[in-house]
Amino acid sequence: MREIVLTVKRALNVPVECLEVSPNSFSGKSLDQIRGIEIWEGNRRCRLNDIFQVEEENSSASDELTVGIVGEASRIRKIGYRMTEGSIAIEGDAGMYLGEQMSAGSIIVNGDAGAWLGSRMKGGAIEVKGNAGNFVGSSYRGSTKGMKRGTIIVHGNAGTEVGCWMRNGTIRIKGSCGTFPGMHMNNGTIYIEKDCSGRAGAQMTGGRVIIGGYVPAVLPSFNIEEVRERVKVGEEKIPGPFYVFTGDLNENGNGKLFINVAKNPHLKWCEEYLE
Amino acid sequence: MTELLIRNGTVFDPLNRIRGEKMDLAVRDGRIAESVSSRAKIIDASGMVVMPGGVDIHSHIAGSKVNSGRILRPEDHEKDVEERTSITRAGVGYSIPSTFTTGYRYARMGYTTVFEPATPPLKTRHTHEELDQIPIIDKACFPLFGNNWFVMEYLKEGKLEECAAYIAWMLNATKGYAIKIVDPGGVEAWGWGRYLKRLDEEVPHFAITPREILRGLCKINKLLGMPHAIHVHTNNLGNPGNYLTTIETMDCVADLASSGKPVIHVTHVQFCGFTGNSWLNVGSGAPEIAEYVNKHDHVTVDPGQVVFGDTTTMTADGPFQFLLHKLSGNKWVNVDVEGETGAGIVPFRYRRSNYVNAVQWGIGLELMLLVKDPWKIYLTTDHPNAGPFTSYPKVMTWLMSKDARARVLARINKNARRRLDLGGIEREYTLEEIAIVTRAGTSKSLGLKKKGHLGVGADADIAVYSIDVASIDPSRDYEDVRKALAKAAYTIKNGEIVVKDGEVVATPTGRTYWVDPKVSIDLMQETTASLSAKFEEYYTVRMANYPVEENYLESPARIEAVAEV
Amino acid sequence: MKIEDGRIVSLRNGCAISISKLLNYNRERILAPVQRRNGEFKEIKFEDAVEKAASILANAKYPILYGWSLTSCEAMEIGVELAELVGGVIDNTTTTCHGPSILGVHDIGESTCTLGEVRHRADLVVYWGCNPVHAHPLHMSRYSVQSKGRFRKGRGDRKLIVVDVRKTDTAKQADHFIQVAPNQDYELLCALRAAVSMGELEEDFIAGVPAEKVEEIADLMINCEFGIIFYGLGLTMSAGKSRNIDAALSLVKELNNRTKFLIMPMRGHFNVTGANQVTAWQTGYPFAVDFSKGYPRYNPGDTSVIDILAREECDAALVVASDPISNFPVAASKHLSRVPLVTIDPHITPTTLASDIVIPSSFVGIETAGTVYRMDGVPLLTRKLVEPPTGLRSDEEILGAILRRTRELKEVA
Repeated sequence: MREIVLTVKRALNVPVECLEVSPNSFSGKSLDQIRGIEIWEGNRRCRLNDIFQVEEENSSASDELTVGIVGEASRIRKIGYRMTEGSIAIEGDAGMYLGEQMSAGSIIVNGDAGAWLGSRMKGGAIEVKGNAGNFVGSSYRGSTKGMKRGTIIVHGNAGTEVGCWMRNGTIRIKGSCGTFPGMHMNNGTIYIEKDCSGRAGAQMTGGRVIIGGYVPAVLPSFNIEEVRERVKVGEEKIPGPFYVFTGDLNENGNGKLFINVAKNPHLKWCEEYLE
Repeated sequence: MTELLIRNGTVFDPLNRIRGEKMDLAVRDGRIAESVSSRAKIIDASGMVVMPGGVDIHSHIAGSKVNSGRILRPEDHEKDVEERTSITRAGVGYSIPSTFTTGYRYARMGYTTVFEPATPPLKTRHTHEELDQIPIIDKACFPLFGNNWFVMEYLKEGKLEECAAYIAWMLNATKGYAIKIVDPGGVEAWGWGRYLKRLDEEVPHFAITPREILRGLCKINKLLGMPHAIHVHTNNLGNPGNYLTTIETMDCVADLASSGKPVIHVTHVQFCGFTGNSWLNVGSGAPEIAEYVNKHDHVTVDPGQVVFGDTTTMTADGPFQFLLHKLSGNKWVNVDVEGETGAGIVPFRYRRSNYVNAVQWGIGLELMLLVKDPWKIYLTTDHPNAGPFTSYPKVMTWLMSKDARARVLARINKNARRRLDLGGIEREYTLEEIAIVTRAGTSKSLGLKKKGHLGVGADADIAVYSIDVASIDPSRDYEDVRKALAKAAYTIKNGEIVVKDGEVVATPTGRTYWVDPKVSIDLMQETTASLSAKFEEYYTVRMANYPVEENYLESPARIEAVAEV
Repeated sequence: MKIEDGRIVSLRNGCAISISKLLNYNRERILAPVQRRNGEFKEIKFEDAVEKAASILANAKYPILYGWSLTSCEAMEIGVELAELVGGVIDNTTTTCHGPSILGVHDIGESTCTLGEVRHRADLVVYWGCNPVHAHPLHMSRYSVQSKGRFRKGRGDRKLIVVDVRKTDTAKQADHFIQVAPNQDYELLCALRAAVSMGELEEDFIAGVPAEKVEEIADLMINCEFGIIFYGLGLTMSAGKSRNIDAALSLVKELNNRTKFLIMPMRGHFNVTGANQVTAWQTGYPFAVDFSKGYPRYNPGDTSVIDILAREECDAALVVASDPISNFPVAASKHLSRVPLVTIDPHITPTTLASDIVIPSSFVGIETAGTVYRMDGVPLLTRKLVEPPTGLRSDEEILGAILRRTRELKEVA
């Protein structure tokens, strides 16, 4: 296994972006070649080693490549862009667009991740130990093509519009999330273990949004369908019981909202409508 | 001033009957000259094809609806960007390019003149702002009249001459070039959310029919001595069986023709060339329409050729665009314009595997191949409605090569393939015919006397393509031809080299042409007086603020028309 | 308009806002370029101000060029070129008001029209989260419920619905006033759409509004001949923001299956619509355009100036015809006053007071001609009415000088 470690050299006061911080981009390149990769600091085109100290930790005959990122990286965007193999480990926080359009491999972040985490993801896995910003797994502005495959796990909280225009895959937020998880969702699973600020599944046409904690209300365009004991996420059976709502009926949607019964006594009124 | 000598190219200049002759071209002071001095810069065009610069008769490149389209679709731009260089401005492309990018991309293909075919008069100042910021190419715009309140009222009251004067006033106010008609009467009906399907159906509240609007404006076009025919987007667009509406539309002004000059141009016929009575059995009405065009000299057409892939539809045909939104489920913009017209925008993807889209693809090509006289038909994709203008080289190869067509045919929906006659058509366009349908014929149709040809005195708008006719057979080597047409070896605009090897090397500002019909002073005074009485009743802007001043345009080029009234 | 001695002294036929603007524009003018040194403003020559401004922008790694809404399209075009040249971000006041409206359009589209269509045809007008009686005083009499159109004689021919969190002066004129619970507009729009497409609602109350009332409004909407929703900051700036607009645009889209229905944002800020138009045709995107990599990029939330400032990620700023320090969130204003800041403005404002270089300019539409766009996209050429104070240049001229000098500096580099 080959391990390349990038240590942020200095404080950054403008956005920094590199489209090639990924195992597949580094693969087959010498350390010097990697140091010479183009990176933008604001409007300045520079080299990777203007921003990072680039070192190789391990080197064996194996093809597998790991990239480690150390230091204050919260201003560094698009780490893991279009990644197709290997793994990235970020010691601190990660900037916006982490893992954008990645199709395979894994990324792990010890700190927080910025907005648009895993945007347009097509496969692979991302795990964030801290919090994530808005638009986890979403599409680009104006596009209906959000996350298509893969897994995103956020141990902390996430912002608004988790899984906006999602097409498939799994997003799991172990903390709470902001409003509009599953906005315009078409398929896939979003599991919020704790609370949701509201408006879950807005304008969804398919897929599932599972809320393990408190949600203040359910949108008027969702109808109660049944109460279920459990819901399956991947191999895991999440114990409920859950109210199961269908919607968004305004979009002729058949998405499902699973809302934890015990945590939401204010939703008891909908039991009247159960057949 | 600069002199150029383009030596030894294989020249195609159909208007001057030059059909692939090796000859030199001399350029001085922005015009084709008899000869030049020894100081002339020499361009060696040996083994290359030389043609007049492309003249695009119908392409949506500027104005309110184009910009609404840009705003609607950030996702269209994201995938296709142009970095700034020391010579060129940054921009975005794909189906709705930004203004600078539009000019560069046309010039790279050897096009030097492009006409924006539909501008709402009330917002035409916007169109000119954008046109002025499209570099290199010469341009013009067609203001919309087919749903205009004043027009409908004048025509209803039989006031043909006053209406003609009104149109003259409007052409002056909009700095427009021709009379454009989109879904006559239908867009006014759409102001109420209603539809007009037939030429003899009355427009709600206006008691006039599309037929009457078409005939009235056709007569006026003649009275005003306009260089171009009325430019018509028919009623009933996008509905199965509508090829009949197209023929009916062409026929409804047949008796108004005289002296063999076309009196109506029907545009993007593919969208109104369907047989059948449902989406399950649409077929190509191209044979019937081509037959009509072959037998009649008063009409010209363009196909609006479909190119498979993602694009954006945008027209002034509000009702049609709403239907397309319902059919496709895609997002939809609608903008109705008071007293004048409307607009609609819907992103759309043409799929090979989709029966209807595949038939549509076939209709445009069948039309181009079955209309015998290449002077009656022009190459368009109704950019961006059926495809981006950057696809023109591909479309040209489909015309020139049966094999190129066959390759696409083999991959389209098989029911569509069976339904179309296209597979059995042997005809292949020659380079001369391509020159006609992309420059000579369009210039002639538009009445642009100094464009589309390379005779002495013509504007030195020239395209040089790396196609060696001695060794390349467009029918067989269509990929090479496509690449050559996509990246001109040289594009020359007004005698200045603007593109070399497909790269922009200079960005002069082109001219904006507009037509000014000279109507009698008394009639104009009378019309202006009656117009001002009603103007503020109909519009929410003051009449004084409505016209676009000539000096508002960066580089206006006025063409006077001699009116009969 | 009565002009005496080069000053506007009286006006008729204007709305209260325009009258106030035209009579008071000359107060608190800056009359010469100044530079701040040691906390004091000292007059400097125009050429020096241009030199310093060009230098600040040319050397910055991520400059922002903000404002634009109070100036002409012609000036904005130079602004875009300047932003492209310096590899910075150009953004306008859309970012603080109707940005959400545009974001909603990206996803749904928009069924809209020019204002005359409303005057002629509308028999149902809805004002949602806006108060035209105060913010657009002539709107109702010129274009909507009180106007006279070809097919509608006047107020009696039209119905007015007002949706707001409290009973505003506009609401007092409504045939139906819906008091929506604060920050629950999304739910109400959702319910309306459900009522329109499905008929009945399950819940008794939505957003504080009884279900029967919601159903009644849905009925009015379905049964009108031509309806329109005008909406304002009450919708764009309350919880949900662009998703509120998404819902409103979707409701209107749905209504088009039943009748003719349209929607229009009530834009304020003079020429903000023009800023969107110019930026869109030149770059493809309507605001928040990032040129740092040499081509236009767009993602509000990232490339919007208010967010860039809040993250403290820009290192220089040019503000034109705008006063962001007055209305940006504190963190953003703070950072703006910390970076090298050049402001071009006619007035003394909190932003000019925080600037390093201030270049005074003339007023578009009063002292300088220029193209502007009405809220419904109709372009108009404003005229020069009076001369600006001596020595004052237009935004266009100032920006042109900065552009030229910046180009020179960049070429040397």
